[in-house]
Amino acid sequence: MLQSILASGLAVGAVYALIAITYNTMFATSRVMSFTAGQLGMLGGVLGSMFMLRLGLPLVLGLAATLVCCAVVGVLTEFIAVRPVLKSLDQHLYVLSTLAFALLIQQVTAIEWSTEPQPFPRLFGIGEGMLDEKYWLPVVTCAAVIGGLEYLYRRTLVGRAFLAVAEDNFAARALGLPERNLRVASYALAAVVGGLAGFAGGELLLAFFANGPQLNFYGFIPVALGGLGNNRGAVIGGLGLGLFQQAANFSVGGIFASVAVFVLFIILLLVAPQGLFGSSTARRV
Amino acid sequence: MLVTRRTLALGAASTALLARPSLAADEPIRIGWLAALTGASSAPGIGFNRGVVFAADTINAAGGVKGRKIEIITRDTQGDPTKAVNATQELISQLKVDAIWGPTNSGESLATTSIMARSKMPNVHPCVVDSLIDTKKYPNAFRLAPSNGQWDDAVRGYTLKILKAKKIAVVGDTTGYGVTAAKASVEAFKKDGADVVYTANIDATQPDMTPDMLRARTAGAEVIVVWSVSTGMIARMLNTRGTMGWDVPFVGHPSLAAGDIASLITSPKNWEKVYAVGYKSCSFDAAGKLPPRTQEFVQRLAGHVELSDTLLWWVSAGFDAISLVAKAVEVTGSSSSEAIIGYWNTLNPYPGYFGDYKFSPTEHNGYPTDEVVMSLANSAKTGAFALAPGYS
Repeated sequence: MLQSILASGLAVGAVYALIAITYNTMFATSRVMSFTAGQLGMLGGVLGSMFMLRLGLPLVLGLAATLVCCAVVGVLTEFIAVRPVLKSLDQHLYVLSTLAFALLIQQVTAIEWSTEPQPFPRLFGIGEGMLDEKYWLPVVTCAAVIGGLEYLYRRTLVGRAFLAVAEDNFAARALGLPERNLRVASYALAAVVGGLAGFAGGELLLAFFANGPQLNFYGFIPVALGGLGNNRGAVIGGLGLGLFQQAANFSVGGIFASVAVFVLFIILLLVAPQGLFGSSTARRV
Repeated sequence: MLVTRRTLALGAASTALLARPSLAADEPIRIGWLAALTGASSAPGIGFNRGVVFAADTINAAGGVKGRKIEIITRDTQGDPTKAVNATQELISQLKVDAIWGPTNSGESLATTSIMARSKMPNVHPCVVDSLIDTKKYPNAFRLAPSNGQWDDAVRGYTLKILKAKKIAVVGDTTGYGVTAAKASVEAFKKDGADVVYTANIDATQPDMTPDMLRARTAGAEVIVVWSVSTGMIARMLNTRGTMGWDVPFVGHPSLAAGDIASLITSPKNWEKVYAVGYKSCSFDAAGKLPPRTQEFVQRLAGHVELSDTLLWWVSAGFDAISLVAKAVEVTGSSSSEAIIGYWNTLNPYPGYFGDYKFSPTEHNGYPTDEVVMSLANSAKTGAFALAPGYS
């Protein structure tokens, strides 16, 4: 039982963590919580299955095609659902626009792909039982993404420019940084991370159009738990959520497992409203 | 002669009345068809539609019903109750149909049944929810497929009498249907003296079914009864059973035999010892033969209707529904709602391809319970299945 909780919990938790990073990456440059994050995870699974199983592409090409398509969807999100509402951020219109765009992605997928879960290919064929690749692949992917993002943000000029825009976009623009282009690039980057989440978790979650809302929901919890914009907090929150959810499945099961997750979530937010790893911000009055 | 407005009106009225029978004799028999042809639950709708179109084409090619052609007026409801309600109102109020076939899923039917009852519209449907048939509240509604209770009876009978299992696990998904069906199943098993050792409602998107399968095994389950339409959830449960090396039989909902499962299981072995609700009329016997009447129907369909990607019972039920309306008009000579409903109430039985339907003024569940059997889930061939082991 413990093995199953660890294997399945960490795998699902890693997918949640990657979706949380998708939320954070989009938020950093635009101050917008884009509810397309879960749909990008769903697209990672669906497109991966389509390119590899239906069109017969090999793994590398299938992965590349999936990530390029996801990046395009990310850029479209910025153009269609985010840019038009940036001027009135305080009215939170982005909730409506990004939710509407997410719904559009989901419905198009349902019509063009299938409304039933479809198989996702075995990627490497390594491992059996609790050591099956479907359990460790999302965890390895999550670790690689964290490493890659750390490298990008700390060692590259583009990454530092991202951080500068995230810190203060007016100051970044005053310094001559192409704030708008960086924002578009960050949406493409976020979409690639979301796509990777769905691709790495495809063997576990299958290629299913209804995974989108599920990932949107459970991917948001690590964001709230870890603190908005805090990727390390999101990873810890995501893995913790996955483990707790799987443990709840074993101990109370079914419907009650979801209830247990949200009870814990609410209690934690009451105790630490800024998230477990977030810092409270002062507001000038 | 002085022609007053009154005599003119009377004359016009009598002319209209006299002209009516000849008009009716030429008018087509208009049958409304509420079909979910696109959307999440479109697979049955597409199958039923093939039978509907084939029936109408066959009857019309033979000259129609006493010279009247069958006109099918189809509305795609997409499985959405709101769209089904709008289409029902359009069919009744604007298009003035003579009878309605469908909707074909219970969620839509729950929304449309009372509307049809108010206008006394003859309605035949295949929806399983028991409450949809009530001869007092809905004297116009007839069911030509089994109710959920009849499915439940077949599953319970097979589990207890043929598999001779004593300890049962009952699993449903977390949808309204899954919760209701699992609860009813548990109660019926207990009533029959069975020991229900494990009950669960599982979120169909839950990626790992190990917790529930382990709990069922620990509880000593000898059979797992499944009430869910989610092929993803069913396939995950079957894969988990395979990984656990547990050969417990699965018995339950027709979705256990859905074609999608073949692509979702990790090994064909995982789909063995799985028995889904099926129908005698659409089952191969031990010699691999269909019942003679069904075989004759399949031969008629050959070259006209594709069966490889659908279920035979959907096609035959669609055919039977249109034939039931046509027969009522043929026998009574009228397409009025009273005539059609009155005729259906006398059927004892009507020999259809899907089954022998029996209706009376007090019983509108027309499908015979003994026709509901269990099928070998992985045995689909041209839309029909092999009988599960244990039937003589």
